[in-house]
Amino acid sequence: MLDPALLMKPPVDAWPTYHGDYSGRRYSTLKQINAGNVKNLTLAWVYRLNTSRSGAMLGGEGPETPPAVGPPSIKSTPLLLNGMLYFSAPDHVWAVDARTGREIWHFAWKTRGGDHIGNRGVGIYGNWLYFLTPDNYFVSLDLATGKERWHHEIANMKREYFSTNAPIIIGRHVIIGVGGDALDIPGYLESRDPENGDLVWRWNTTPRPGEPEAATWPNEYAMSNGGGMPWLPGTYDPELNLYYLGTGNPNPVLTGRSREGDNLYTCSIVALNPDTGKMAWYFQATPHDTHDWDAAQTPVLIDGVYDGRPRKLLAQANRNGHFILLDRTNGQHLVTTRMIDSLNWTKAINAKGQPVRNPEKDANVPGTLVSPDTSGATNWPPPSFSPDTGLFYVATRQSFSVMYLTDTDERPQGWAAAERNVGNVGSALKAIDYRTGKVRWSHPLATGPAGSVGGAMGLLSTAGGLLFGNDGGGNFVAYEPATGRPLWHAGLGANTSNGPQTYLLDGRQYIVVGAGDTLFAFALQQ
Amino acid sequence: MKNLGAFPIVSFVSFVSFVSIQAQQPQPPEPQFDPAAVERGQQLLASQCGFCHGSTGRGAASGPDLTRSELVQNDDNGTQLGAFLAVGRPDRGMPPFDLSRAQVSDLATFLHRAIYFASNRRLYKILDILVGDKQAGEAYFNGAGRCGTCHSPAGNLRGVGAKYDPVTLQGRLLLPRGRPPNPGGPPPPPLYTEPTAMKVSVTTPSGETASGALVRLTDFEVTLYEASSGRMRSWLRNGDVPKVVVTDPLQAHVDQLTKWTDADMHNMTAYLASLK
Repeated sequence: MLDPALLMKPPVDAWPTYHGDYSGRRYSTLKQINAGNVKNLTLAWVYRLNTSRSGAMLGGEGPETPPAVGPPSIKSTPLLLNGMLYFSAPDHVWAVDARTGREIWHFAWKTRGGDHIGNRGVGIYGNWLYFLTPDNYFVSLDLATGKERWHHEIANMKREYFSTNAPIIIGRHVIIGVGGDALDIPGYLESRDPENGDLVWRWNTTPRPGEPEAATWPNEYAMSNGGGMPWLPGTYDPELNLYYLGTGNPNPVLTGRSREGDNLYTCSIVALNPDTGKMAWYFQATPHDTHDWDAAQTPVLIDGVYDGRPRKLLAQANRNGHFILLDRTNGQHLVTTRMIDSLNWTKAINAKGQPVRNPEKDANVPGTLVSPDTSGATNWPPPSFSPDTGLFYVATRQSFSVMYLTDTDERPQGWAAAERNVGNVGSALKAIDYRTGKVRWSHPLATGPAGSVGGAMGLLSTAGGLLFGNDGGGNFVAYEPATGRPLWHAGLGANTSNGPQTYLLDGRQYIVVGAGDTLFAFALQQ
Repeated sequence: MKNLGAFPIVSFVSFVSFVSIQAQQPQPPEPQFDPAAVERGQQLLASQCGFCHGSTGRGAASGPDLTRSELVQNDDNGTQLGAFLAVGRPDRGMPPFDLSRAQVSDLATFLHRAIYFASNRRLYKILDILVGDKQAGEAYFNGAGRCGTCHSPAGNLRGVGAKYDPVTLQGRLLLPRGRPPNPGGPPPPPLYTEPTAMKVSVTTPSGETASGALVRLTDFEVTLYEASSGRMRSWLRNGDVPKVVVTDPLQAHVDQLTKWTDADMHNMTAYLASLK
């Protein structure tokens, strides 16, 4: 049973929501494992994903034969409640004993299809668990047994929707969003009732006709097919009662033809009232995006000092290559800085703090050389903010692609352009001073025969003076948060693939992280 | 929005990712669209629907885009489309259409094919990219590009325009790492066996120096491939011990990435394409 009061506290013996708490800081007050003893950190247990349908609790409306997809990768952050970990991959949910790594139950979803790219995790309300499937079902399970309670279809797979989001629970609202941009389809966020899964409200990611922001689209046709998928979980300020969410890219993806204008509310950070779904404010990080630079990255809530006085702030390391700081009470822009040197798609940063795109870097027939590539300077893996150092941690790439316009119709469709990746001239883990947006330190990631490798990664900072992440080269690393110096590492055979998390059980602190199809738990040698 | 590792973005070069983050997802089989049915469907669409929906079905002033239509996207082999066409949408000025089952099937085949190819970006066909001025490209080659430092049209670039298609050529102009993609061919050899791999030298505290192609370098380990002996060698690292120096034989290309104008890139591509 999840006591809602847990959601308002720093995570210690529970990790009850995607980011551990509502702030998105991914900072733990635990310090049993600390800079002084981290060298004694050792393996506590491993759990390798069991995807067999035999012995699993089953649900879903698809065929008996599983789809021909490769082994899933753990992108979800496990939730911890009453000593059990709950996590997911596309079509699967597991409950695992947090002390031992033993599987308690496994739920397998018989899928009808959809893009199996990833699943960010589960949400918990009371004794119930919620998750989304690639074929767009909102499913609820009984927390104790993994038995299905009900499922609802929330989007149409035939329109190339697929769902990856981790549900976020605020009060009696289960907040979920849809994904997909292969076709030009509308994006929306929903609140669903935790008891029966019924729709409570829906917020559309593009305006309706008559709203002032509708003027940022040439016509209703473009606006109503304009994308903006809310495909990652957001953050929440209980005092302001605002839910902060980054929206996805507009459609068609790599060309602005047929959608002239800024294309609100795509590529935006928005603040919504979770009780009503009404928007309080928005800040668009990429007006008229033409490079797939959604703003879905975590909006991290920082209670800090800016201009000499305490402020409620919101920071985001955006896929478009910029660090952004806002006042989260009203969306007022405070800071925009460039996070990577290779970035070449902008002309300037305007008075509103938005990068101004250079139209010459829009995909064209003979190709334009763009940095970063469509994967962005960073991506979905959660960053971290440590109040101890005042630093925002994020990993970046400096990749180049050539983008070729392939659909020259005046009404282009889907992506409308092809991308050919050229190379990456430098990935790094960075620490950014949130007040100035300046990079305090930058630690290069690994190198292979083709040059720099690695990039966006899930991060966790702790009061023990540690920053957990990977090195791009298959090692799980504890870095010194003030300097980026590595203090401890473990070779996992693959890069970590989710956000690390931590908890204290029976007086023992664990660090849990996923790498590909395996979940690893570390603790101090006893 | 699809993100890292999600979609097999076709690379100019075969990146050897030494850490496999995720096995590549197998692609579902491509649906087959009967070309004759597609052709008939297109003609039918142009003659019967084009006045309102445009000759490609992507919409016009008086009718919406049929490829973005939820009704069409939900359709199974013309079943729902046929039922809809038999009635039309008189309230919005769309009359019923008296089409045979075969005609509806042809129309549906054309539209479903259009939707399939719009939604599968890995199948997008790059158009004619040879728009540059080859004389300007040659001037850049000999001038600002300083390409002649390493290359010559009669030497290592001889016949390069005949060897590669223009898109591959443009990619290799930017960064010719490893071998060009060869779909359907044998898997390429490991990148560290290629002359364009990163290089590394490792000097141990005893003064021994080894050098070769860089296989992997992290804060904690370095691995190199010694071509002369065919041997793989690795060392654990502790700070600056052993001493590690990495060099890139393609450093000039990497440095140039931040300098290219698209015009220079197009001109150079045209010039190289002319070296048949």
